[in-house]
Order: sequence, then C-alpha cells, then structure tokens
Amino acid sequence: MSAGRTRTRTFAEVQAGEELPPLAIDVTTRLIVTAAIATRDFQDVHHDKDAAQALGSPDIFMNILTTNGLVGRYVTDWAGPEALLRSVKIRLGAPNYPGDTMVLAGKVTAADAAERVVQIEVEGRNRLGPHVTGSVAVVLP
Amino acid sequence: MNEQDVERELQQYVGLPCGPYNSWEEVNAPMIRHLCEALGDRNPVYTDPVFAAQSVHGGLVAPPTMLQVWTMRGNTSERAPGSDERDSFAVIDYLRSIGYPAVVAVNCEQTYYRYLRPGDRVHHVSRIESISPRKTTALGTGYFVTELAEFFDQHSDKVADMRFRVFLYRAADRDHDNGKGA
Repeated sequence: MSAGRTRTRTFAEVQAGEELPPLAIDVTTRLIVTAAIATRDFQDVHHDKDAAQALGSPDIFMNILTTNGLVGRYVTDWAGPEALLRSVKIRLGAPNYPGDTMVLAGKVTAADAAERVVQIEVEGRNRLGPHVTGSVAVVLP
Repeated sequence: MNEQDVERELQQYVGLPCGPYNSWEEVNAPMIRHLCEALGDRNPVYTDPVFAAQSVHGGLVAPPTMLQVWTMRGNTSERAPGSDERDSFAVIDYLRSIGYPAVVAVNCEQTYYRYLRPGDRVHHVSRIESISPRKTTALGTGYFVTELAEFFDQHSDKVADMRFRVFLYRAADRDHDNGKGA
C-alpha cells in the first residue's frame, strides 16, 4: 500500500506532542470531480466550472465529504489500518480549488490510556490559508 | 419584520424532527472501492477482503467518513423509497426569502459508534438543533444554523452522529447597498 503501513501503531508507541508527517494532496480537477461523484455529491459547483463561475467562484471546488475523507485517510495512513476512527470534527475555511496543493499536518494533543484513545489536531492548508482545521479521535491497539 | 419577529420565526424550525432519510443501496464494496480510489486511501480494511478478514474488523468495512454517502439523494435528487420528503434544512428557504441568500458550511463533526460493513442498511433522521442570534462575520451578516443528524442501522441501532453547522448570510458589501439604490 502506498501509505506504507500494514502494521498499526500501538497506543504505547504514541505520545502527546508527537507530530504526524505532513501529507501533500494535489488538488486536481480529477480529484475534486471523482471524489464528489464517489460521495454522491452531484452539486454542479463540484464538477462544472461554468456553473461554479456563474455563482461567483473562480473554479469548481472540493466538497466537504471529500475533505472529511482526506482527513480520515491522513490519520489512518499514519496510525495504521487497524486504528479505529472515533470522531472527525472539522472546521472549514478556504476552498480547495484545482491547481492548488493542500498540505495536511497533524499533532497528537492527548492520549487517554484508559480508552486507548489518541486525539490528533489536524490542519490542511492551501495557498489561500487553512482549508480545514479540526480534531480526530482514534483508538489504537 | 423586525429582528425579534425574525428570531421568533426562526425558532419554529428548531427541534422539528425530520426523517427517516433512507439509503438507495446497502453498504457495499464497490462504492467503498470507488471512493477509496478517488481519495487515494489504500487502507486494506476497506478494500482487501483477505487483510480485512484477519483484522480487528473480521471483514471489510466502510471508511467511517463515508457516513453521509449512504443516504445521499444523488444525481436525480430523488430520495430513496420511504424517505421523508420534507427538507430538514427548510430554514434555508425562509432565510433566503428574507434576504440571506448565501450559504457556507462552517463545521462538520462526526462521531462514530461502530464501523459499517457491506450489507448494512443505513438511514438517518435530522433536526435543526440550534439557530444563533444574528451575527456579523467577515463574510457578512446572518445566522449560524446547526443540524444534528443521527444515523442508524437496520436494527435501529445508532451508528453515528453528525453535527453540521452552516452560516446563512447576506454578503458584507451588500449591506452597504441596501436602500441606497447602488
């Protein structure tokens, strides 16, 4: 797998303060369109540039379900395949337009030994600023 | 209409239970694969049956962030059979009608109680949980509306919650145009 991990990080291996390696996502028309359709989001601002421009947007832009999916992927790429996502809580900022790059960064902010839950703060920035900021809770073995 | 009247009218939309919103398809491996391919998500618990069978899940599961996909209306905008025909976000139409035409999503908070597997049948119910007093932000002036959507499986067991907050507003520069014939 491109993510490179088939073994899942254990709770004992993770410490608060640890930073996740950044992940650069090329925001292409292809990514925006294929993911919008795969999330069954057929709003034309996610696949039709003319329609998006008619509504005052410079281009099509990424839908929220795709952003959610990329944030989840970012955390499980790092944590490993058997990490269990408990929550993904995001705040939305600048749109992701084609031609941009979103760089996801993350940091472990808390680790609850009783529940084996790790909290990770995530931010995805593009050239306009933060596209997404939020927190993800994941259970580790 | 003065602001008190608007806020009183808005409160009528709060708490009204809407749903169920049903799914066109049961949770299924092809839709999971399509989305994982699009996102570049190579986690084998989503797409590799052999790995998944030996994993903590004991079989393939859907990415939890795929939650909303199962009950989306899709290309025809037609809802799945048995769904509530009312729109849980009817307040958007009301606010548009009184001069707040713009919508921007602000927060999406999902909590997962279990992973969904191929064969699961999902539906959700929805209500507007809160509407803020009128606020002015860098975007303009309007109202923050928070929806609570609760997702259930075929046994009516809850599988996830989602809080979704939007800002329904009139753009900042338009405020200066009001009544000035600009």
